[in-house]
Amino acid sequence: MKNILLILLSVFAFACETEITPKLNAPAEILVVDAWVNQKMEPQKIRITRSQPYFEQSIPKKVPGAHVMIEDLNSGETYEFQEEAESYFWYPTDQPFGQVGHQYRLTVTVDGQEFEAFSKMGRVPPIDSIIFHYNPKDMIVKQDYYTAEFVASDPAGAGDTYWIKAWRNGVFLGNPGELNMAYDAGFSAGQPVDGQEFIIPLRRDFMNPYDPHPDKTNEFLPPYEVGDSLSVEIHSLDHLAFDFLYGLYFQIARPGGFAELFSMPLANTSTNIFSVGDEDTPVTGFFNTSAVSSRGLKLSEELANAALEEN
Amino acid sequence: MKKNRLRAILGLLCLVSSVIGSAQQQYTVSGYIKDASNGEALIGATAYVSEIANGTVSNAYGFYALTLPKGTYHVSFRYMGYTDIHKEIALTGDLRLNLELFAGEAQLEAVVVTGEAVDENVQSIEMSTATMDIKSIERMPAFAGEVDVIKSIQLLPGVSTVGEGASGFNVRGGSVGQNLVLLDEAPVYQSSHMFGFFSVFNPDAVKDVKLYKGGIPAKYGGRLSSILDIRMKEGNNKTYDVTGGIGTVFSRLAVEGPLKKDKSSFIIAARRSYADVLARTFTDALEDDTGLYFYDLTAKTNFNINEKNRVYLSGYFGRDVFRLDEFQGFDWGNRTATVRWNHLYGRKLFSNITAFYSNYDYGFQLGDSEQDKYDWKSEISTLNFKPEFTWFVNASNEITFGGEGILYLFEPANAITVSDGVTADISLDHRKALETSLYLGNDQQLTDRLTLQYGLRFSRFDYMGGTAYQYGDTLPGMEKPLIAVEEKGNWESIQSFGNLEPRASFRYQLSKVTSVKGSYNRMNQYIHLISNTTAATPIDIWQPSSNNTRPQQGDQVALGYFRNFQSNAYETSAEVYYKWSSNQIDYIDGADLFINEFLESQLLSGRGRAYGLELYAKKNTGKLTGWVSYTLGKSELKVDGINYGYRKDRVGSWYPTKFDQRHNLKVAAFYDLSKKVSFSANFSFVSGTPTTFPTDRIMIQEYVIPYIDGNKRNNFRIPAYHRLDLAVTINNVWRGKKGRSGEDNLVVSVYNVYARKNPFSIYFSQGRERQSAEAPIATSANQFSMLGTFIPAISYNFKF
Repeated sequence: MKNILLILLSVFAFACETEITPKLNAPAEILVVDAWVNQKMEPQKIRITRSQPYFEQSIPKKVPGAHVMIEDLNSGETYEFQEEAESYFWYPTDQPFGQVGHQYRLTVTVDGQEFEAFSKMGRVPPIDSIIFHYNPKDMIVKQDYYTAEFVASDPAGAGDTYWIKAWRNGVFLGNPGELNMAYDAGFSAGQPVDGQEFIIPLRRDFMNPYDPHPDKTNEFLPPYEVGDSLSVEIHSLDHLAFDFLYGLYFQIARPGGFAELFSMPLANTSTNIFSVGDEDTPVTGFFNTSAVSSRGLKLSEELANAALEEN
Repeated sequence: MKKNRLRAILGLLCLVSSVIGSAQQQYTVSGYIKDASNGEALIGATAYVSEIANGTVSNAYGFYALTLPKGTYHVSFRYMGYTDIHKEIALTGDLRLNLELFAGEAQLEAVVVTGEAVDENVQSIEMSTATMDIKSIERMPAFAGEVDVIKSIQLLPGVSTVGEGASGFNVRGGSVGQNLVLLDEAPVYQSSHMFGFFSVFNPDAVKDVKLYKGGIPAKYGGRLSSILDIRMKEGNNKTYDVTGGIGTVFSRLAVEGPLKKDKSSFIIAARRSYADVLARTFTDALEDDTGLYFYDLTAKTNFNINEKNRVYLSGYFGRDVFRLDEFQGFDWGNRTATVRWNHLYGRKLFSNITAFYSNYDYGFQLGDSEQDKYDWKSEISTLNFKPEFTWFVNASNEITFGGEGILYLFEPANAITVSDGVTADISLDHRKALETSLYLGNDQQLTDRLTLQYGLRFSRFDYMGGTAYQYGDTLPGMEKPLIAVEEKGNWESIQSFGNLEPRASFRYQLSKVTSVKGSYNRMNQYIHLISNTTAATPIDIWQPSSNNTRPQQGDQVALGYFRNFQSNAYETSAEVYYKWSSNQIDYIDGADLFINEFLESQLLSGRGRAYGLELYAKKNTGKLTGWVSYTLGKSELKVDGINYGYRKDRVGSWYPTKFDQRHNLKVAAFYDLSKKVSFSANFSFVSGTPTTFPTDRIMIQEYVIPYIDGNKRNNFRIPAYHRLDLAVTINNVWRGKKGRSGEDNLVVSVYNVYARKNPFSIYFSQGRERQSAEAPIATSANQFSMLGTFIPAISYNFKF
């Protein structure tokens, strides 16, 4: 799809784009809860902030003085998040956060108003391997280059949802077009592919970034060269979190140009955070609990040669 | 409800039987009205009887009939741009009278010759309709110099589009999917080539275009907003003609001629874009498997078996192909085939029986080998059977009745993914439906001044077979939970709907040049175009009404004032309309509309309303001709789950539709400098379309997401659209000179003369830089214009 749009773009060279600064309505500056906790043995962070005016170009500041707690509704265990300089944290000691299959309840209290959200921690399959492929130079990358894929299989049983995250040389591939979610081994519930290897686009298309060449137009940098590394993590998602990310994609992926023909109306992303009681304080954000599997690989000289031979 | 229905049907039957009962000893004069030069049937030619100050209009096959008491009459046969024929008819028995009208040398001169322009707009019962003959369409300046039927009708009041590149058109605040586009009676599901830049109708094969925006007769149904009835040429049945052209985008060629003189004829017309052919000579960047082209082929033939029977066969095949390499590409296309049989029962009863097939499909292919690929095709097919009858009862009544059966097959996705040679089939269930309808209508002249048209259409829809999903209730705007799945037999009905659609119009003639008209119609639409993008696109899918999606229903009232000046040299009209509709489709936020078995769980349903004023003034004669049209309109939706503020129950407030355009001004002008040179110009001014602007940005997992205070929808507008196009036509550049036969012309046009960067959209996006914990991601707004400059074009057209 992206490639086809590229071609169309060049055909319709008459199109043009200008950056503008329209006057917007007054900002709502509502409460935002960013609570994605996982089983990695690292500090678990929950951010409580406020929305900013759309054109504000700064990192939102912490809302201080909140009480943040997660309760395991199966075991009764509680996790208190402590306020620190920029956020609220919980530190795993010998055990990671939570257990697969358990249901969690997040409560956040700000200025006496309580908010809550629920999430179920899903299972996650291991990543079997990472593979690099050799590609001769082509129309868009004018040098020989390597692309990567990971190999993993969705366990049998419909309804598993995942967020597949990737880092190249330690940099998170977080462009909107790199957002990679799986429903079982396929794209969505409506296209059932269950209990098999993840389908090719999921394994490949979102972790091979073709970044524009800084000096040459219509030319792109190779996704991977010898010496580069890739690490991949699969995070299990609550179903509502999957829907949230799915909707999020349409709101943030606006490449512009001819793709505007296919753009959907701007709308607020979904939220699973709700105020408790009669008080209806506007709030947004998301709470999700994840199990995580991971694997990384560096493209060494030997791997590169092997890939070249395979080709 | 049932009682009301019964009452309505009985009432209509009573009315109609009283009409028949009053028929006395009468005779019928009937026949076909044709163009003398090529034998093409003239659609909408008038036969006017002086003695009764009334007449009739030829139908889509050129057939007319007048039933009158015994006597002698003076009948004038007229058609715009043709010389009138006046006949004295002594009616002592049924009479067959076929006529051939001669076209004036130039359209305008012919009008001058007769001294009488046709005052059809005032006389006719029809309102909220617009007819365009292909000659006018051909003279307009066009985008890239390509004559375009769909673009031309956008110059008429009440018709608009959201911008260049958008497929289809919007009528009186209705969506693109609410228009029924018929090519020789067969529905065309996607009317665009190259997204919306060109339409799929080859002007060389089109004879006549008629748009119904309101006052829709009972014989049409199935869509809420409009019927665009396009009739193809039958082909010259006297001599062989070759017409064609070379343009900037397309090359065209059409051949027509008699198979048997005056008895049967054919036409074959083809077009192909050749950007890729040209590109290949300039660059080697295109690989051998690459393709980027579109083409269409239109063919028709007819057989005049005898005075009572005629058969027509017509077909269309068109395709757009964007192919990157062997495994990657995107293509779409329509195909239609129509068989029609005209039969006359006696002199008074004209019948047409049509059977047709129509199909639209598109496909996507991605991947790099047979081992790793993704292949998706989507299709809709219909098979129709449509008997129609017109009974010319007497001078003041013309009864139409008939029915239609449409069998639909929806194939939303035939799709596979292949990963390392392992194929997964992600195809969706095929869906079937049967739409049937029966109608009865009458055109009745009550007095010299008052004419009525009334009718009733009964439509029924059966959604059949396959998997039936049942969804539960949830908060509006959220995905509905699946609660039950049931497998039904192949042809077993899952859900059916039946609706009565009353239609009524009147015309009251205030004077010879002035009339007032009014109309009411109810329409039902059983299939829905699923489209959540800024503009409709070729990858939108059609979805049947089902146990989860109810049929759309729309009502419209319209009132108009029509007046002509200076012996019909000037036509003017003013119309107001009000429309209200139910079961309008919208989508939950983040809806996943492609290859989704549970699509219906993501659809929302609401109410719509639209109202407006349309003004139209047209100059028919002189060196300068043309028209000015202006529409003041409003179009809104109210859907729970959208635009709901902070209400916990999420009950929505009214919001403007994405094609709500307050002002819509169009000017079309033609100036004939001499027989050799003529100029034409179009000007459009349209208010900006609504769009949604955010108020805030929020940060979740380092993603910066726009946020809209109060969940508003379409709370801002993009700047207005305006554009001027100019063209000059030079006739007989080579042909027609020095004894060379035939005619030709050279058209030089400039689209968007003053190079306005008309905005198509304003979008909000984040920077391309990757996220980091330290530096925030930049957010910005961009205005996108499909065309940032003027587009000159040149084309050469010939006929011999």
